[in-house]
Amino acid sequence: MKHKHIQHLYCRASFGADINDLIQFKSKSKSKVISQLFKDSQDFKPLELDLAEFSDIKFKSYKELRDKYTIAEIQKLRQKQQQKIRDLNYAWLERLTEPNFLLREKMTLFWANVFVCRDNDIYFIQQYNNTLREHALGDFKAFVKAIAKEPSMSKYLNNRQNVKKKPNENFARELMELFTLGVGNYTEQDIKESARAFTGWSYKRNGAFNLRKPQHDYGLKTFFGKTGNFDGDDIIAIILEQKQCAKFICTKVYKYFINSKIDAKRVEEITDIFFKDYNISNLMRYIFSSKWFYDDKNIGVKIKSPVELLIGIQKVVPVNFNNKRQLNYLQKMMGQILLYPNNVAGWKGGKSWIDSNSLMFRMKLAALILNNAMINLEEKGEFEDAFERYYKNIKKRNRFIKTTKNWSEFDKKYKNCTALELTDVLIVSKLDKDTESFIKNLQVKSNRNFCIQLMSIPEYQLC
Amino acid sequence: MERRDFLKQSTLASSLFFVPNFVKALENVSKNNMKHKKLVIIQLTGGNDGLNTIIPYTNDIYFKNRPGIAIRKNSIIKATDQLGFHQNLAPLKNLYDQGYVSVINNVGYPNPNRSHFRSTDIWQTASNADEYLTSGWVGRFIEKYGKNPYTAIELDDSLSLIMKGENINGIATRNPNVLFQNTNTPFFKKVLEQQTDAHLSEHNLGYLYKTMIEAKSSAKYIYETSKTYKSTFEYPNNPFGSQLKTTAEFINSDLDSKIYYVSMGGFDTHANQLNKQSKLLQTYADAIAVFVEDLKKNDSFKDTLILTFSEFGRRVQQNAAGGTDHGAANNIFLIGENLKKKGFYNDAPNLLNLDANGDVRHTIDFRTVYATILDKWLQVDDTSILNKSFSKLDFI
Repeated sequence: MKHKHIQHLYCRASFGADINDLIQFKSKSKSKVISQLFKDSQDFKPLELDLAEFSDIKFKSYKELRDKYTIAEIQKLRQKQQQKIRDLNYAWLERLTEPNFLLREKMTLFWANVFVCRDNDIYFIQQYNNTLREHALGDFKAFVKAIAKEPSMSKYLNNRQNVKKKPNENFARELMELFTLGVGNYTEQDIKESARAFTGWSYKRNGAFNLRKPQHDYGLKTFFGKTGNFDGDDIIAIILEQKQCAKFICTKVYKYFINSKIDAKRVEEITDIFFKDYNISNLMRYIFSSKWFYDDKNIGVKIKSPVELLIGIQKVVPVNFNNKRQLNYLQKMMGQILLYPNNVAGWKGGKSWIDSNSLMFRMKLAALILNNAMINLEEKGEFEDAFERYYKNIKKRNRFIKTTKNWSEFDKKYKNCTALELTDVLIVSKLDKDTESFIKNLQVKSNRNFCIQLMSIPEYQLC
Repeated sequence: MERRDFLKQSTLASSLFFVPNFVKALENVSKNNMKHKKLVIIQLTGGNDGLNTIIPYTNDIYFKNRPGIAIRKNSIIKATDQLGFHQNLAPLKNLYDQGYVSVINNVGYPNPNRSHFRSTDIWQTASNADEYLTSGWVGRFIEKYGKNPYTAIELDDSLSLIMKGENINGIATRNPNVLFQNTNTPFFKKVLEQQTDAHLSEHNLGYLYKTMIEAKSSAKYIYETSKTYKSTFEYPNNPFGSQLKTTAEFINSDLDSKIYYVSMGGFDTHANQLNKQSKLLQTYADAIAVFVEDLKKNDSFKDTLILTFSEFGRRVQQNAAGGTDHGAANNIFLIGENLKKKGFYNDAPNLLNLDANGDVRHTIDFRTVYATILDKWLQVDDTSILNKSFSKLDFI
């Protein structure tokens, strides 16, 4: 497989190939490389934090808790439990840097921005995250049904308030508008009828699905021209019968994995594939195997998301963040904090990552992480912060990102690379003559130094 | 776009320094008439409790619902026979007495959302409650009428959604010197020196280069222009005071920026509200008072309108922790010299007619406020910025 094509495939299916991948796959055929990619992602390894210290707060009744703790202690535990979500964020970022399950993890990241959800219950949101991971390459039908039964989703889109007497349409609306069909592809009546089908859908404290039968509307519903005593699963099945659903998802897949500029013909082509069986693996395999996926116009033209940028750097030089809180800072300054989407529509991606401030920050990221560069910009406070806390960082004029760099790992791979070879590994975007001569004129003191410089040019922002 | 044209446009700002002296002299003569209108937007982030800010001190329902946190009648600075200012808002009441303040009650939107994130999105994008827009209303103003990032400046280190357009965004800075230094590293300079036509014409790569050039020229323009005026006023020594001081320096140095956005944090008072909120209101009012003085002294107050809002108000009924939970409609403040309807624009909140959550219902859509400001103050086409036509109010 061609060097450039390996790099392209790995940029989209993961966070870029390293020099070993390039060497290893050079003599292999495209289909072999792709098969390997899928094989390595066959299994599923959940992301799990140790939550033992919160089991009381989670599973005991308030009365039981009061026997054991003071009110202040309970409050403190609750707060700590919510803060644990940051730890899940750090653990997730770390997972993304690992060399296993590459495609599955990239798909999980993608689905997290399709089935957007947010929760302050660490048990539920961890379970939710693993549901994304479990179904990331599987059957889309089962996937949607599983998502609809998740406690976090039920909370986030008010489905637990959706009862026979007083249906709450929020989940039904977003299910169609943002998760499966897109705005304009259903009627208000469809929303009303389908909301009834999801009434009584709730969850148990342990995270299991729970149908509250007295709250469920068992009556007849008419949805997309069909009439029956539908429940939520039936509604999802009917939604998926609409080809528009396959098209909606394939448009998102196209933008995320192929090109932010839509090619209507190609979207139609992959929609036909996906609509056949709604098998996500089959869809992705088809895309990666297509000749047109490797067209020049699709290579190195996507603006990396902040997470893609952050992980991409760490894939080249492994880094340990000594103060994990700073990972939060970096994500915040660049506008993407995993597990904390702003709203159910998710991150728009592409050009929207870029403004004057975020671009300057992004171009400095490699130097911040790898070269102890100083930064004098502060993150915004939180909505919930008191005044002093909201502004607490401002006085700290200069800060450093405290990291331990594993340069020896980098040296092992890249020490003997030429400048050109290193450029080829790190930059997938088109390089015109001027940029090439610019890079040539950079003083290559060492490959370590050169690597940081390459990561600081605008072309590195693309994948 | 030809590269040369592009460069011309993007470096326009810095080339202003090379205009012949006689042109500058001309500018000075007509300076007062030529000045453009400015809007300063202040968000009281976290959801300010409007009912304890402007207090309905004759309303029994207010006192009944807030046995622990109602503001006592004798401490209120009375303004009308129904409403009074929190005592720490004395500096604001002073502006009110001079006819510089207009309070609009019950501002909100249908189906109010009580999440900070979502409701801030709604206020910042000017969307419906069930609509997700990816650009802010100020961002769309920049896109249509500014063309330069510095058309609107956020007094912070990163950009909020309100400032984001589809293809061009505002710029954020707390400190123009820091911004300037950050866009002027030797490496960035080198990168930009080699930019070519080809770069600018590439879809996403071109966008990156274009953004870099704009960032650099905007940072330079803001830094060099704002250097010319340093405020001699003593602002309260806190971060909000600094934000307003920097804003005054921007305005008084004749920076060609039209909108400024400042977020003041700390208003999410779920517990022990009384003490916390009174400090916050003090901080707000003290800084505003100096800010207005500063502008007046430099003859720029007449060209400046200050809008203060919060993403939502708070529940009428207090909670068990001596605080209040997220609510719905709220009051907003407009401060300026050209107000048409000085004082209270409309009726006090009707506490007899609350919504199902026990929150104040809105009687004025916040977008009619935006529409009015865009149309009558900034004198631009509000419909194309708000994506919809809203009726205009009569406050300016």
